[in-house]
Amino acid sequence: MSKPNSGGRRFLLRRHLNKLRWLSLAVVFAMLVLLPFLHVYQTYVAAHGYDLLSPDEKLLYDVMEAITSPFVKEPAEALDAIKGNTWSGTIWGFKMSDPLAVVGQIAAGHGVHWPFVVTVAVPLLATLLLGRFFCGWICPATFIYELTSNFAALLKWAGIDVGRRRLDRRLKYGVLAFGLIASAASGSILVAAVYPPAIIGRELYYAIAWGGLGAGAAFFAATLLFDLLVARRGFCRYLCPGGALYSLLGRYRAVRLRRTVETCNDCAKCNGVCEFGLDPMRDGFGQECNNCTACVAVCPTDALVFTIKVVDVAPQGPGHLGRRYRHGEASAAPSPAIEAKEAAA
Amino acid sequence: MERRTFVATLAAMAAGLAGMPVRSSTGETEIRYLRPPGALDEEDFLGRCIHCGQCGETCPNRCIRYFGLENGAASLDTPYIVPRDKACILCMKCGEVCPTGAIKPLQRELETILDGVKMGHAWVDESICLSYQGKTCGVCYRACPLQDVAITVGRLEQPHVTDKCVGCGLCERSCIQMPQAIRIAPSHA
Repeated sequence: MSKPNSGGRRFLLRRHLNKLRWLSLAVVFAMLVLLPFLHVYQTYVAAHGYDLLSPDEKLLYDVMEAITSPFVKEPAEALDAIKGNTWSGTIWGFKMSDPLAVVGQIAAGHGVHWPFVVTVAVPLLATLLLGRFFCGWICPATFIYELTSNFAALLKWAGIDVGRRRLDRRLKYGVLAFGLIASAASGSILVAAVYPPAIIGRELYYAIAWGGLGAGAAFFAATLLFDLLVARRGFCRYLCPGGALYSLLGRYRAVRLRRTVETCNDCAKCNGVCEFGLDPMRDGFGQECNNCTACVAVCPTDALVFTIKVVDVAPQGPGHLGRRYRHGEASAAPSPAIEAKEAAA
Repeated sequence: MERRTFVATLAAMAAGLAGMPVRSSTGETEIRYLRPPGALDEEDFLGRCIHCGQCGETCPNRCIRYFGLENGAASLDTPYIVPRDKACILCMKCGEVCPTGAIKPLQRELETILDGVKMGHAWVDESICLSYQGKTCGVCYRACPLQDVAITVGRLEQPHVTDKCVGCGLCERSCIQMPQAIRIAPSHA
């Protein structure tokens, strides 16, 4: 897009994907708020009693009517087209479910119910292709967690201490295994009670349609505190059972990020911005990368690119534009200066 | 943690859980509740339901509510109906939207509903029913969506519930007696 001699950088779509991702997260979250309101509106329509509604209820009715009347004639029936949440939803009769819902139901029900299993097809295919993208692009809990993460950065800037601990990432695979075992033992899908996106979907519905919160809200608040006080994005990184399952499914994803060693200058901005605490600067993406593209957006030399490949490239050593290279240090071991920079980021 | 220790810990936790009588944890609540129309038997229902909340979000009558922890951990976020508060109108939308078949998809037709729905069964407490006290009432009979099939009335509108009652609870909802003289005995209990 830049004109010659304008000094601007060339327009690269991949550098703007992160904004698109925020848009996607916001739209999903907004839908989860809108759907319960539409449901309440539908029940008012079905009851044929507009005059009996309270002023608040009339306001809700009028707003929802204004939003939907350009699209539907018979709201009580037509608005049934979109129901549910990211855990399991229906769009014009097409049902889609979270892979964890399917795995958890199989564990709890001690058997496979095929009409339900097929509802995972599209999410599963997308995960095999794009890896843990759900965590970065769709998950309604991520929307809140990432805002919290930004809030923590603000607190840090103001000199207030926030949690920066690093735990063992494999913990979440334990949570997944334990959740499935508990579901199998209890005969009820208990893993749904500790999975934030499922909780968010439900609790928004409870809050809007019933004016109260369930047990899940307390759990979610605890995870927020954990993120703020113990580890940045701690729940997603170390504890989320769904994240664990998505990571396993996305291990051999086809679309992944790669560092172009020739244009990398070892600035470590990518490592600093990575919500999942990965190591893009040293080619450390792995199965946990959710293709969120925050690192791509922040890279000053556009060294991070998408590739179609089922494994990461082997560590390529320091970036060719990096300081160490210019100083003739060929060692792959990170220098103390870069370590310090990374810790500060 | 070493992989070996990790697996051993998991196995230990599994063994601990297997010994827990979590299944029996339902039925703890004092609430007399029904599952939505077309729901499987309680144990199969709990094994199928993924707590997505779509049944409640589709219910035009807002009679489907969700358990907190009051009925045990296994019932957390599962749907229930308390007929005295709001009874089921047998619209069958919840079964249509249920992704797992925990609530069976059933057509809204008499035969399918009689075959597939077994929420409970109404029973009449003749000691407090107005019609049995000589005050002609008949409200339950008029509220029933399966009139003359699930419920019939005799002399002085005295209600008689037949075997075909599916337990939707509209009779209990509309009974003018307090405490209500016609109630649903849930089939899961």
